[in-house]
Amino acid sequence: MSVTPEILSLVDPTVAQLKRRQIEGTKDIALSISQLLMRVISTARWTNPYDLIKIIRKVGTILISAQPKEVVVGNVVRRVLALIRDEIETEATSSSTTASASKDTPMMSSMFSLLSTNNNDSNSEIHHQSKKQSSDLRSIIIQGIRDLIDEISNVNEGIESMSVDLIHDNEILLTPTPSSSTVLQFLIKARAKRKFTVLVTENYPNDIARARKFVKTLAENKIETVLIPDSATFAVMSRVGKVIIGSNSVFANGGCLTNSGVANVVECAKEHKTPVFAVAGLYKLSPLYPFNREDLIEVGNSGKVLNYDDHKLIDNVEVITNPLYDYVPPEHIDIYLTNVGGFAPSFIYRIVLDNYKTEDTNLE
Amino acid sequence: MPPKNKKNNGPVKGNKKQKEIVQDERFQAIVLTDSFETRFMPLTSVKPRCLLPLANVPLIEYTLEFLAKAGVNEVYLMCSSHADQIQEYIENSKWSSQESPFNISTILSLESRSVGDSMRDLDNRGLITGDFLLVSGDVVTNIDFNKAMAVHKHKKSLDKDHILTMVLTKASPLHRTRSPLDPATFLLDKKTNRCIYYQPIPPISNASKSSSASINIDPELLEDVEDEMSIRNDLIDCHVDICTPHVPQIFQDNFDYQYLRQDFVNGVLTSDLLKKTIYAYIIENDEYAARVESWATYGAISQDILARWSYPLVPDANLLDNQTYTYEFNNIYKEEKVILAQSCKIGTSTSIGSKSSVGEGSHISKSVIGRNCQIGKNVRITNSYIWNDVVIEDNSVIDHAIIAHNAKIGAGATINPGVVIGFNVELGKNKTIANNVRIVEKPIEKEDDEFDNASSFGSDEEEEEESDNEEDEVKKQSTNNKNIPLFEVKDIDLVGEDGTGFLYTSDREVDDSDSEYEVSSTSNAPYSGVLYQMQALNFSDDSIASLTNHKHKSKRRSNKNRRLSSASVVSTDFEGGYSEVDDDEEDFDKEGIATVERALENNHDIDTALLELNTLRMSYNVTYHEVRSATVQALLTRVVHFISTDTLEVKEATEKIFRTWGPLFRRQVFDEEEQVDLIQILQNKSVILDNTYNQKILFFAINILYDEEIIEEDAIYLWWDSATSNATKELATVKELTGKWVDWLREAEEESDED
Repeated sequence: MSVTPEILSLVDPTVAQLKRRQIEGTKDIALSISQLLMRVISTARWTNPYDLIKIIRKVGTILISAQPKEVVVGNVVRRVLALIRDEIETEATSSSTTASASKDTPMMSSMFSLLSTNNNDSNSEIHHQSKKQSSDLRSIIIQGIRDLIDEISNVNEGIESMSVDLIHDNEILLTPTPSSSTVLQFLIKARAKRKFTVLVTENYPNDIARARKFVKTLAENKIETVLIPDSATFAVMSRVGKVIIGSNSVFANGGCLTNSGVANVVECAKEHKTPVFAVAGLYKLSPLYPFNREDLIEVGNSGKVLNYDDHKLIDNVEVITNPLYDYVPPEHIDIYLTNVGGFAPSFIYRIVLDNYKTEDTNLE
Repeated sequence: MPPKNKKNNGPVKGNKKQKEIVQDERFQAIVLTDSFETRFMPLTSVKPRCLLPLANVPLIEYTLEFLAKAGVNEVYLMCSSHADQIQEYIENSKWSSQESPFNISTILSLESRSVGDSMRDLDNRGLITGDFLLVSGDVVTNIDFNKAMAVHKHKKSLDKDHILTMVLTKASPLHRTRSPLDPATFLLDKKTNRCIYYQPIPPISNASKSSSASINIDPELLEDVEDEMSIRNDLIDCHVDICTPHVPQIFQDNFDYQYLRQDFVNGVLTSDLLKKTIYAYIIENDEYAARVESWATYGAISQDILARWSYPLVPDANLLDNQTYTYEFNNIYKEEKVILAQSCKIGTSTSIGSKSSVGEGSHISKSVIGRNCQIGKNVRITNSYIWNDVVIEDNSVIDHAIIAHNAKIGAGATINPGVVIGFNVELGKNKTIANNVRIVEKPIEKEDDEFDNASSFGSDEEEEEESDNEEDEVKKQSTNNKNIPLFEVKDIDLVGEDGTGFLYTSDREVDDSDSEYEVSSTSNAPYSGVLYQMQALNFSDDSIASLTNHKHKSKRRSNKNRRLSSASVVSTDFEGGYSEVDDDEEDFDKEGIATVERALENNHDIDTALLELNTLRMSYNVTYHEVRSATVQALLTRVVHFISTDTLEVKEATEKIFRTWGPLFRRQVFDEEEQVDLIQILQNKSVILDNTYNQKILFFAINILYDEEIIEEDAIYLWWDSATSNATKELATVKELTGKWVDWLREAEEESDED
């Protein structure tokens, strides 16, 4: 089953936008990808849900290659795939009462399935679905994606609700990710019941403008806020009660990818035994494992590090790099606050298993 | 001349009128794919500039990517040279697919020979409906265009005469990406960024010359400056302009405008009639904008892209659909299926295309390697740009060079800085290519006449040229009717017995002949990296005039060159193009003289005659020197006519003619240098006259012109003392009579000084 031109024509504008970095922020990317997949599913012609899965997998690889370092793209695609597979499963169990139960239930949770070959083709033959059924399935899946979109857009609400329990009165917090709207909402929500101080690092060079805006918003919400240079992190750490970081994506091992400069801060926090809380929406959790630095970290505009008009320096400097992300290993994070609750990093793999199917970890 | 008969060439839009109603919804962009320059010769004889690969992506992609990001709805590509290739490329690219963010159409404007022509053609077609973006097809930029657009709109709301916003980048004057070719000084109102004055300056290397170290500003221009102004020589002009629909109209009205900056911007700013304003938008520090306009900037921008200054336009953005670049630490980019030997070393800022292989012990740094390239063992490549399907055999050394598609470099070759190896050239074993040599597959046809002129002119430039003997020979041979077999015998020295390729000498274009001169004069100086090397590859037109002393020759030549460099170079056009140019000048002489004579006979008023002459000058594209020459010739003929028919005495005849018609020169002579030139012409022409009265004519003519304040004392002294006025015996005799008068002038001046 190949991707038809109609579907490609749906996908291409988003691919181009991703390549041009016209969609910014993980949340917006996640939303636009899920909306795109919704359109793909309603346009695609399929009689068999497994064909649909193949189409989505293809579309997924195209989207991922547009911006390979943006993990969220893959996450959303895999979430949708899991959704489809779940629907097929429930369909199968309800329609075929006797025969299929023994044959095709994917018992991924059981050890047996490790050795069994999971043959989709044999499955597909069993499901001779009528037109009516497939259109039912289509609407069910689309409803599922709508729920996913709701979940993504309301991600802050679930996380916010925990803030009052975690933040104490007169506590000093430090956040090194001024670009995260989740952290912002988290703090603002906590202010309703608690009175505390927030230290914000500048995060030179990529986040300075956003840091100022962040600080301003906090101050407008009557939170005592201090903007500190990155170099002062270690000095102030002894007074800090909690470090709160936002994240771009969370890997199955419990490590996460976040703004550059955060690795430094959590290292300091470790030294001072200060707890580190990472906030992350469920859609940021990825079934992937971080294997090497080069595949993960996007390198951005050198012009932010060094002014381009300084030609003497530029001509003589061998390499100027401006990595946009840092990888924070799981041992530096104490707890993940997600919209489905707080989890230890070591438990993340379990949440991942609940939300994704292992068949879809590798889309190619 | 604006082309008038081509409306059928381009895509005809039927629903044009209907669309005009909804102006604000569409945003148009005009891309000038042709630069009307020859700086990338010889490679541009095969491929248009905008399709040359920059970091393995055709240049035009960067521009289109920028337009896509800027939210443009309609893109028109103005194509002239190699239009077919551009059209084909666009048709097969993602931009003409349905999902493309804009409608793209190519406009064939084959007769255009300058930016001005393209703009006039654009106006004739009536495509422009609102404000539009004008870019050249070689811009690399990541600027946030919305900000520039907001500034443009804001300025426009404040100032209804606002017609153009130039987007400029801040850099230092010697910045590697700043064009060494046409740097310019901008005079800006500090508060509003209104551009008050624009002055192109000759290349930096000539800055020591007093002529180029200063700019002249007409005080009138500064009258309406409210507050402070800044004079800036630190801006990169990447030719991204937001224009109002007035811009093509102004080009239409002023059909002599050729260049967007030199002619248009300057013309608008200095014009008393137009009362239009131009603003500059200087982009922020972390944004990047540059234009690939010469090999120097080609090298610099390639490095910038590899070093991610232009992020997100970087190799791993994979602008072409089939690319698979990935980023590795230290700015190394590799596509799929790259084969690297275990012992080879890949240094910083390097990009390697798919299916290329690098052999044992090779070392590559700060370079771009295309696809399917085979690089042998122990090869060293630094700061070089190697395009697709190139074979480089063992033990070669390549430094600061450009090697085009399908070239083959034999084992043990040494390629020195500045070399350009053309398409399909094969280089034999153990060859050393000297600095700045360019090799092409086939000789590009040239006109004999052109060479005669060039070799006499170029004699001084060859003295220090490393391969001067070879070059001389090539020239001689080419004057002998381009004997191809001889060529081959000759070039074996260059490319080896098993090689194919010919030396490319570009004496027809000023850029290169000049650059050779420049290089030879600076070759002893230590160079530091791609910057100076690449820079050495060419220089601008301006410098040539100041470099040569033979006034007459250089004038003729620079004027010819100007025309050539503005002519788009299509290799097949050469023969026709050149002969036409030569004819033009002779034609102008004839026509000019005829015009003035007609005016004399029919007693036109001076303004009419001037208008006619000026029109003639523009249509033939000659300098004022030719105009003066023609005018003097006509006037003298008339004087001689009166004398020989005994109607009038020598004095009266000269008096009559020059008194009435001398004011013609008022609009042909503007500064001292030109005054000297005028006297010199007068002298030269008088020599040929009957020597019974030619001294008198010269004396009276100069006297009258001095009286009419067309020439000044200083100019007369300069002429009198100049070597050219005493060059031959005849010249010396003819000015004898004037001598007394000049002495008298000097004495009179001294006396008045004493007073």
